[in-house]
Amino acid sequence: MIAKDKSAHTKKLRFLGVPPNKSAHTKNQRFLVMLRSRKAQMEMIGLVVIVILITLGMLFMATFALKDNDGKKIFTRKGLAYSTISAVMKTTINDPDCSESFSGQVYPQVGKDLIEDCAYYYQDNLVEGDHSLYRCGNKQTCIFLEETISEILNETLGGWNKNYEFKLQLIESLEADPLQIMLIKSGKGGCWKKEKDGSGLFPLHTDQGTVEGELSLCD
Amino acid sequence: MNENKKRKLEKYQRRQRRLRRKAQIRMSETIAIIFIFFVLILFGVIFYYKYSQISNREKQEELLANRAMDAALQSLFLPEVICTKGEAEHEDNCFDIMKLNQAEEVFSKNLNYYFNLFSYAKITVTEVYPGNLTWTIYDKQKVKKVENGTERIWENKENTYYVIALRNDSKIEGQKKYNLGYLEVEVYS
Repeated sequence: MIAKDKSAHTKKLRFLGVPPNKSAHTKNQRFLVMLRSRKAQMEMIGLVVIVILITLGMLFMATFALKDNDGKKIFTRKGLAYSTISAVMKTTINDPDCSESFSGQVYPQVGKDLIEDCAYYYQDNLVEGDHSLYRCGNKQTCIFLEETISEILNETLGGWNKNYEFKLQLIESLEADPLQIMLIKSGKGGCWKKEKDGSGLFPLHTDQGTVEGELSLCD
Repeated sequence: MNENKKRKLEKYQRRQRRLRRKAQIRMSETIAIIFIFFVLILFGVIFYYKYSQISNREKQEELLANRAMDAALQSLFLPEVICTKGEAEHEDNCFDIMKLNQAEEVFSKNLNYYFNLFSYAKITVTEVYPGNLTWTIYDKQKVKKVENGTERIWENKENTYYVIALRNDSKIEGQKKYNLGYLEVEVYS
């Protein structure tokens, strides 16, 4: 057993570069073994330091690569979405045909008059006919609205390469499910991207219930 | 005796040779380590230089974006063009066409005042529905004089858009008519 240990020790010494000697257990050789193992430890520490430095560098690079400074983008997207829906709701339709059922010239407003008209006749028109109070462009109000809003959004937001989604929902009562009366998507296919901001809900109170409008924008 | 001396000398020389070889190996090791160290330092310096360059550019872009936002917000609430009704509160996202028609003159007469507000920028209002009129209410670009006139010298440009309603009170009495347009604010640096 002892002989085996000794031969193992000799092998170890050979491996460390110490020539096998009869007096292998002398102080000098022990010192040499210790010195070499300490050197190996120091090299290991050096290696660890290098690995740590490289890892730190990579983390540093990753932090800067992933840092997204999009405060301005979010602000402008929200502002643009809000201003767009607000302006669209205010817009009056410049078409004398709109008001043939009224005496005198009337310019119906998209938010106040046409969306209300669309919501009022929407469910009737699902069953049959194309009734509506206004006949802008000789079309049923919902159809005319969809075409006009679509055109306006395409000329503005579409022209600036923005993806958008305009939605109108009718909520008749608290219990009833919201009924989607209009959905307009940008030519590139609506808002499926990650960076998305909306105008917030634009509620309009009508005889038929509440109509909620929302415009979402994404880059 | 001589042979013994000779053997000793040979042994000594062998040992010296071995030591020299070992020293040479160590020297080349040290040189390699120093070389790698300097290469790492060089990489660090190049990385820092590139990083500071990009960081500077980003900072400039951020400043320009902030200026664009400020200018756009200031123009959205300019009393010179915003829709008002007597002493009532102004209407959000709405410009008065009658005011817009006069704005160009007002802005060009008081260019110094507006330069303090907007600096180098261009503010345009474009009608989208039903017509397609355009009002350039403020335009001040960085230019330098050349032989054949002037040359633009701005490096970066940032555009900000807002869709607005354009109120037209001139056509029908008693009814407000709103057209649709957009405000475009370009700032230069």
